[in-house]
Formats: sequence, structure tokens, C-alpha cells
Amino acid sequence: MDLRRSRTAAGDRLLAAAVVVGLLAAACGSAAGSPAASSSAAASAAASAAASAAASAEATAATGGNLVAGITSDPNTLFPWKATQFQAVAILGTIYGTLTELDDKLNVVPGLAESWQVSADGMTITLTLRAGVKFQNGKDFSSADVKFSIDKIQVEATAAVAASTLASVQEIQAPDPQTVVLKLKNPDAGILAGLASVNLAMLSKDDTEASLGKSPNGTGPFEFKDRKPNESITLAANPGYWGDKPKLATVEFRIIPDETSIVAALQSGNVQFAVLDDPLVAKSAAGNGITVTKTPQLAYHALQLNARRPPLDNVKVRLAIACAIDRQQVLDTAALGEGQVTGPITSPAFRSDPSARPCPTRDVTKAKALLAEAGYAKGVTIKTIVSQGEYATSVNEAQNLQAQLKDAGITLQIEVMEIGAYVDRWLAADFDAAVALNGGRPDPDTMYGRYFTSTGNLNKVAGYSSPELDKLFAEGKTTSDVSKRKDIYTQISKTLEDNAVWVWMFSSYAYTATTAGVSGFIPMPTASLQYLRTTSVN
Amino acid sequence: MPPYAAASGGTDAEGVSHVQTVLAHRVTRRVVEAVLTLLGVAVLVFVMLRVIPGNQITATLGTEASAALTPGQQAALRAYYGLDQPPVVQFFGWLGNVLGGNLGISQRTGQSVLDMTLAALPVTIELAILATLFGLLLGVPLAMLSASRANGARDAAGQLVGLAALSIPSFLLGAVLLAFVSKYFHYNPSAQGFARLLSDPGLNLQQMLFPSLVLGFGLAAPIMRTGRSALLEVQSQDFVRTARGKGVAPLRVQIRHVLHNALVPIVTMTGIQFGYLLGGAVVVEQIFSVPGIGRQVLIGLQQKEYAVVQSTVLVIALSFVLVNLLTDLLYRVIDPRVRAS
Amino acid sequence: MTIDVTAASLGVTVGRTRAPVWRRLLRSHSGQAGLLLTAIIAVSAAAAAFGLTPHDPIAQVPIDRLQAPSPTYWFGTDQFGRDIFSRSIAGVANSLTVAIVAVSLSAVIGTLAGVSAGFFGGGVRAPILAVTNVLFAFPPLLLALSLASAFARSWVTIAVAIAIVYVPIFVRVTRGPVLSLRESDFVKAARVLGFPTSRILFRHVLPNILPIVIVQVTLSMSWAVLTEASLSFLGLGTPPPAPSLGSMVLDAKTLVESAWWTMAAPGAVIVIFVVGLNLLGDGLRDALDPRHGDNG
Repeated sequence: MDLRRSRTAAGDRLLAAAVVVGLLAAACGSAAGSPAASSSAAASAAASAAASAAASAEATAATGGNLVAGITSDPNTLFPWKATQFQAVAILGTIYGTLTELDDKLNVVPGLAESWQVSADGMTITLTLRAGVKFQNGKDFSSADVKFSIDKIQVEATAAVAASTLASVQEIQAPDPQTVVLKLKNPDAGILAGLASVNLAMLSKDDTEASLGKSPNGTGPFEFKDRKPNESITLAANPGYWGDKPKLATVEFRIIPDETSIVAALQSGNVQFAVLDDPLVAKSAAGNGITVTKTPQLAYHALQLNARRPPLDNVKVRLAIACAIDRQQVLDTAALGEGQVTGPITSPAFRSDPSARPCPTRDVTKAKALLAEAGYAKGVTIKTIVSQGEYATSVNEAQNLQAQLKDAGITLQIEVMEIGAYVDRWLAADFDAAVALNGGRPDPDTMYGRYFTSTGNLNKVAGYSSPELDKLFAEGKTTSDVSKRKDIYTQISKTLEDNAVWVWMFSSYAYTATTAGVSGFIPMPTASLQYLRTTSVN
Repeated sequence: MPPYAAASGGTDAEGVSHVQTVLAHRVTRRVVEAVLTLLGVAVLVFVMLRVIPGNQITATLGTEASAALTPGQQAALRAYYGLDQPPVVQFFGWLGNVLGGNLGISQRTGQSVLDMTLAALPVTIELAILATLFGLLLGVPLAMLSASRANGARDAAGQLVGLAALSIPSFLLGAVLLAFVSKYFHYNPSAQGFARLLSDPGLNLQQMLFPSLVLGFGLAAPIMRTGRSALLEVQSQDFVRTARGKGVAPLRVQIRHVLHNALVPIVTMTGIQFGYLLGGAVVVEQIFSVPGIGRQVLIGLQQKEYAVVQSTVLVIALSFVLVNLLTDLLYRVIDPRVRAS
Repeated sequence: MTIDVTAASLGVTVGRTRAPVWRRLLRSHSGQAGLLLTAIIAVSAAAAAFGLTPHDPIAQVPIDRLQAPSPTYWFGTDQFGRDIFSRSIAGVANSLTVAIVAVSLSAVIGTLAGVSAGFFGGGVRAPILAVTNVLFAFPPLLLALSLASAFARSWVTIAVAIAIVYVPIFVRVTRGPVLSLRESDFVKAARVLGFPTSRILFRHVLPNILPIVIVQVTLSMSWAVLTEASLSFLGLGTPPPAPSLGSMVLDAKTLVESAWWTMAAPGAVIVIFVVGLNLLGDGLRDALDPRHGDNG
């Protein structure tokens, strides 16, 4: 768009362009041979779409267009330090900035911190902040904001969900506006990757949770524009962003509660972008101008076992369960094969070898033998809790597991429950087994430290700990040598599998569906939509 | 509300004022009943929410984050979501606020429940009205068709169509309709960001078309069946036979004499169904992305937002009670002689 | 959910001879159709209960996933390779069980409450009516949703939730006639003669409202089936792997584009089920009412 032309000429051209775009969109969307009735309906739909597109296009002069993304629910919070729901994390991740960031290969790259230096003993990290960064309300960003944020996160009353990631931070100093010094209690190799989470976003020291709930104020590429609860939330490009300006003028996240309805909206062209969770829905979306990209995720599906409850306190029983399961079959039946069999660690840099376990493939004979050795030759019964409605494959996984375990004489009783009931039981570790989808992290210490160390805050839920694991995790946390860390975590992975602490099954894909005309988006293995900043739609 | 047995009517010298006294008395009684009913609903919803597992903390944070909370963080969150007070205090606090016009706040959206409800309720009311119109448009003619020759072929045809409509679950009909029309006709007004009736009536009515049609189908059947049996009932009465015997044209008989008298049960049934629609439209609202009151409760339930669910259910119950009162009044207008039994 | 409270429907003969109910039922088209469809459903359900389905409804055969209808699999297979025909029949059995239990429970409780509220005075009537009003005013699907979420998922919970939602209807439907009956001559005479209340209730009142209750039961059964299906659709119905018609439709929602049979079969079964019950209910009502059935 040539900004040197006069406004009226520009306005006319924009309107014309919008009308053409609208008609093109309608034409691109229609399959060949639509009946006459539908083309008039499509034309009127296109006309109204064109009218609204023209209105918003006139308001901003950006070139990349206005993207409409379909999401199934409203973000349940606008406060980044409490955001765990997928939609909240995804949207807030585009509004707020973090000290470090992750690229699409999950390498730690500079964010608000331009560079950093870790002292030789690993106890001090000095970060140099970028200059000239502003918050979306115009205020300058400086080390005072960083200190404020980190101090506040560590206060219990804030109830920040990632407070434990900063557990090793003893003190933070802000010697000058561009420098931040973190003094640690012990070396922490995973903290820099951990800082890349939106849960550790840097907030302005003048903002409060209440004010941010109404008007979010961050340093990210997009700024908050408008919200209609249960209907939509609209962001606009942040003109003051410190990096490459986003190509999109606005992004509207439109709430369409049903995933199949989102597919319908993609097919009619009203929505151009969506992240889908259900592989079956994703399969039905592909084709007719809709591109579906699948990205392996860090999150993993596992059958958690509670090794503190008989009969699962006997490692042979747990191994029998692990041996009786063909993980590929669970993946095939529950998720149409859309995923990869995995070991405990899913992050690419430290990925576990899925075959590095006592039974790399299903071995029912061995499972039965193990059960007999454990004294359960006649078989054993365990109950598993399963949530319904939280993610698409939970119940199907449980059903397939039940069918497979039956062959080895293991009766798996399935207790399906609504998410609220499931969470209560899970938190209290009130289960023999739990079919779970847990989040993954780029760094294995952040991912599993809290589960499998005896002092970890999720150890109760994990149901297992051992001095061996404690030692390994402590080493992994404090070693900064990359290859040494890799060895340590490979050992941790092997220990977890050899003791069949849980049965890790597979990691699945996230599906990004885009209509023709959307380009430049790179999906991430995390829930992040950060590459909306390089996306454009025409 | 179940109508009470009518007073034994009767005329006296002061005919009008006698009736007026009775009416006034009835109205007061109805109002008292309504208030007690609403109080009962308030208690019921409050208790039910506390019995359902999970709370807003676990609903917002999910499994891992909830498990990772320290006791201090838990306490802070409990205070933030208003969960730290004893239930009785919470109940009267909430009720007191409601009576003062403060329906509570949704921490999730930052909006007041009153604002959310004022935005959502008219949407569902519009949906319900349109659905009722469709239901009547489909159901009444079918009823008349069936009743014109009871137990004959026309009756069977009418009943079969009506029942087939009833039996297709709304979620099935809605999901299939949406998928089919958007894939093959690329017509999907529901995907375009909801338009309010007053700001964009054209788009709004398009968006309401399919959902109200789907709901209307479900209504057509009870309306048809009530209508049919009411029509048959009236048709067999003497005054109709007399009219027929006198040679009055059949269609005129149908409309003036039969339908008019059969209206009472039809109106009652319609009123009840309309009342149910307010809470029952939730599945259709989900499928067609209509931001109505049913979805507001559903989301509130999923997110365990107690204030939202409690206040919204109360509003729905109030609407239901009002609609019932209205139909009773309508009832009386159509035929003041009718004995409410 | 009609409220048919005309005196005529009480089955009080007005000096007219009429054929036995059964024959009258069979004479009407609705009665015939209703009986036929209901019989098909009942037989299928019984077959499933005795395990007489062509394939095991629960066993997973991943190799045969998502096959179109064929001689081996009459309605095709689902995403686990399970035979949809067998699952549909088993689903009917489950839905029928839930419906029967739910409606019986609500019929019994509702009728007792309605009769008491109609027959007895203030102290009994007022609380019953108050509770009924509250349950009526509460949005039904949400009531069922909340109850289903609150307790452990099993078909019993669903049945109880549905029962609670439908109690008010039975209260309303029975209360009206009982009010009229209370004023009728033979009841008044019976009271004057000093007959015990229980005898009056059981020998005079109940038999007269029985037809209404029966009709309402058949109608409520079809609604119970739909409610169970809706609950399953919203993710709260009978827990898997037990097949339920509603959860089959839910699963089929995502599969229907590539595998239409996954939705057509359970959808058709639901329709047949509900249509049959409704026709039966209508036929019964016509048969039990001396005036309707005789109209030509």
C-alpha cells in the first residue's frame, strides 16, 4: 500500500480491494458447480464480509490483512501469570513479552533480554535488556519492570502458576535500567528456557492484576483491541513493537464452541485460521483449499500409575502392564495413528528413545510371566480414572488399553468422569491409574523435576520417587555442559522406564488449519502462536 | 405453576367486583408462589454447585498447575474467587447482592453477570420466539390435518411427520444441517461473528434461521399432538355438530368454532415449551455459536463460576415463571369461562 | 409432554359400551404402528441383553476400522472396528434400561406426590407443590447436567437425574384429575360412609388416573431417551465402553464426513425408538378415551 497517495484515493482503492477480496474469497471458497441459490447466498455473505472488511481495513493502513481465527472457548483469564488454558496461553503469548524466547526448534533465543551471561559457578546470571522497548500503553520498559515482575511472581499471594520455575532465584538486582542480575541459590540449567513461558511474562510495574484484566498491557507484537465475552477477542498489530512489525493488521479470535462448526466456518471461508485438537476433525477439514499442518507437540499421553498403591507398588506388576500394551495400537485406535510413540522426554534436544524400555514391543507372554512372578498368576484388577471432554482422545485411549490389558489377565476398570471430578481425584493422587495428557516443556528439568524428585511439588501425583532419581535430577539441574546433561536425562528416562513408573504412550499432533491465502505461520511444538507475527492473509 | 381449582364462580349482584376481588387475591397468591419458587431455585442451584466436584481454581488452572499450588497460593486463590467464606455466608452474600441488582462478577471475563445476562438473554428470547413461531407454523396445520379425519390416512401422515420431527434429536439435526450447508453451499452465517438484532437485523436473522428452525422442529411435535387431541375433543362436542348440521362451511367451522376453542391447551403447551426453551436451547446454541443464556450457564458450569451459574439460573427461572404467568393470563383472555383444574 | 386433563380421559364411561382397550388400540393406525415399532425395539433390546448380537458390541477389532455396511457388518464399523449394528442394539438396550428406570421412578414418585397433593389438604399439598414448582422452573437439561456431573458416572446416575427432572410432570398430570375426583359423588359418598382413605385412594382414585399415567409414561419414555442422548452428546451420558445411542452420535459427529454410516445407524435407531413410543402413547390415549377413538 503506497502511503504517499492521498487518503481518499487510498480509501477508494481499499474499498475496491476489499470488495474484490470478498468476492474472491467467496469464489475461492465455492466448489465447482454450486447451485444458483447458494451463489446468491454466498454473494450476500461476501458482500457483508466485504463491507466489514472495508470498514476495518480503512481504520488501519497495514498490508497483511485481517485474520479471523476460530477458537472453541474464551480465554479463561487475561492475566498471563495465571494462564494455563490453551486459548489463554496462545492469545496472551502474542500480547506479552518474556526475557527469553524459543524459536521453532525450541532453542532459547533472546527476547526482552538481548544477551546474558552465566557466571562460572552458575550462581549468577546477568541479563542485558533491549533498549527502547515500550509497553503497549506507551510506558518504557526497563529493569525495574523485570525486578517488579520476578519479585511479584515469587510472592505467594500472587498465585503465579510458574512460581516454582523461579525456585532457585534467591534475589534479583536491577543495577541500571538495562541490566538485571539474578542471584541463584544453586545452579539452574533449565531456568533460561523456563523464562520463555508466558507465565513468566514481564509486566509493567504500574499495572495490577485488576487493571490488566480489563486492558492487557504487554510488550508483544500484538496489542489488545476489543473483547466481547463468549463471542470474540480482537488484537491489533502493536506499532511500537521492538521486533519486526507484524504483517497482520488485526487478528480476531472468534469463539465457535464446537470444533466441527469451526471446520464448517473454515470451509465457508468465514474463518481463515484454527488450531484443532481432535485428529478426526482435522482429517475432515483437509481439502478444498484448506491446508492442515500437523506439528508434534511436547505434551504426552501417558497411563500414570500410582506406585504407592498395591498392587502397583510391585514393580513387576507395573512392568507387566507396560509390556502388555502396544503403544502404537493405542495411538492408532484413539488418534488414528496421528502421533508418535514416545518415551518420557519429548523435547527434541533431549528426546527419549521410545524403544529404550524392558518391552519395546508388546509381549503378552512376558507380561503374564511377570504377573505370575509377582504372585498374581490369576490376574489383577486396577481402576483408572479418565476425564471426558478435556481432550478428544482420552476415553478412546482408555477403551483400547482396557481391551489390550485384558489379554494379559489385567482387568482395567475405567472410571470416566467430568473434568472437575477428575482433577479432584488427580490432585489428591486418589487413583490406581490415570489416563492423562500432561504438558511438556523444552527443558526436562522443568518438565519432570517437580514430578519425580522426592521434594517436587507434584511428587504426590507422580506416585514414585527414589534416591537414584533425586541424585540424577540434582545433577541435571546443576550441570551446564550440554552433552553431559543429555546423558543424565537419558539415564533418568531409562530409570523411569525400567521401573515402569508410568506407561508413556505417545505424543500427538496439533493441527493448524489455514485457508488459502494465509501464509507465513510456523506452528510451534508448544501451545504458542508466536509466529502470528510473521503471518499474513490476502 | 399449577393453576388452582377455580372458585365456584357464580354471579351475584356485585358480579364485577366479586370477580375482581377473586382475581386480585389470585394475583397476590401467584406472586407469593413465584417468590417462593425462585427462592427454592436459588437454594437448589447453590447447593448443587457446591456438590459438584471441582471449583473455579481447578477449572481455571487444570490438573498440573492446580497440583503445583502451594498452600499459600491456594489460600490467595480461594480468597480471590470468593471460596474462602463459609457456604451460608456465601449464599446470603450472593442473594443479598442479587436483590440489590448486583448479580456478581465473572473473574473469567471481568464483566458483571448482569451485563453478560443483559446481552445474552435477549438473544435466547429472540431464538425462542422464532422457534415457537416455526413450531406453530408447522404444528398447527399438521394438527388440523390430522384432526380433520382422525385415524384415517391423513391423520397417520400428519402424525408421522410430526413425530419424525420430534424424534430427530436437535443436536443431530443441527450438526448435520450446519455441516451440509456450509460444505456444499458455503453458506454459514453463524461463522461470521454474532450480529445483534438491532445493529444488523439482516445478518442476525440469517444467523437465527437454522437454530430456530431446528428448535422449532422439536416444538412442532408436542404442539401438533396437543393440538390434535384438543381439536378432536372439541370437534366431538355438540355445538360443532350443530354447526355442521346447520350447514356451516367446514373450513369456517374448523377455524371459528373448533380451533378457537382448542386454543387453550395449545397456548398452554406453547407457553410451557417456550419456558423450557430458555434453558433447553443450549445444545443448539453450542452448535450454531449463538451467545445465548443457555451457553452462558454451560460455560459457567464448565468453568465453575458459581456466581454466573447461580444468577443466570435464577434469571432463567424468573423468565420461566413470568412466561407461565403470562400464558395463564392469555388463557383467561381467550376463554374466561374455562375452569382451571 | 401433553397435559390431558379432560374428565373424559379419566376413562369414566358415560353409559357407552366400548370395545376392550386392547382391541381399540389395535384398531387405530397409530396404535398398530406404535406397537410394531415398540415391539421391534423391545425384541432387539432383549436380544442384546442375552448377548444375541451378530458381533460383540464392545470388542475392538482395529483391523476392521471404519468399514462401510457389508454382509459381515450390517451397519458398518466404527473407529474401533466395532460392529455398529450390534452396538446400536446394545445401545437401545442401555437407553431402554435408563428410560424405564428413570420414568418408572418419576412416575411412582410423581404420581404419589400428585395424588397426595390433590387429595390431601394444606400441610401436605403446599410443600409438594413448592418443590414441584422449583423443579419445573429449573432449566431441565441443566438440572440433569448438574446432577450427572455431581455424582459418579454410571447409568444409575443418569437415570436418577432424568427421573428427578420428570417428577414434576407426573405431579402436575395426576393432581388435576385427583382434584376433580375428590369432588365427585362416589368419593364423597365413600368418605361419608367412613371408608378408610387408603381404600378410597387405591380402589377409586388410582384406577381412574392410571390411564393418564400410562400415557404419560410412554411419552416421557421417549423424552427420556432423547435426554439421555443429549446428555451423552454433551459428554455426560452413560460412560463408555457401554454403547449408548447418544455417545455413538457424538463420536459420529467427527466421522460423518468420511463414514456416514456411523451417524445414520444410531440416528435412525433413535428416531424409530422415539417414534414408536410416541405412536404407542397416542394410540393408548385414544384407546383409553371413549370419545376420541370413535370419531370417524
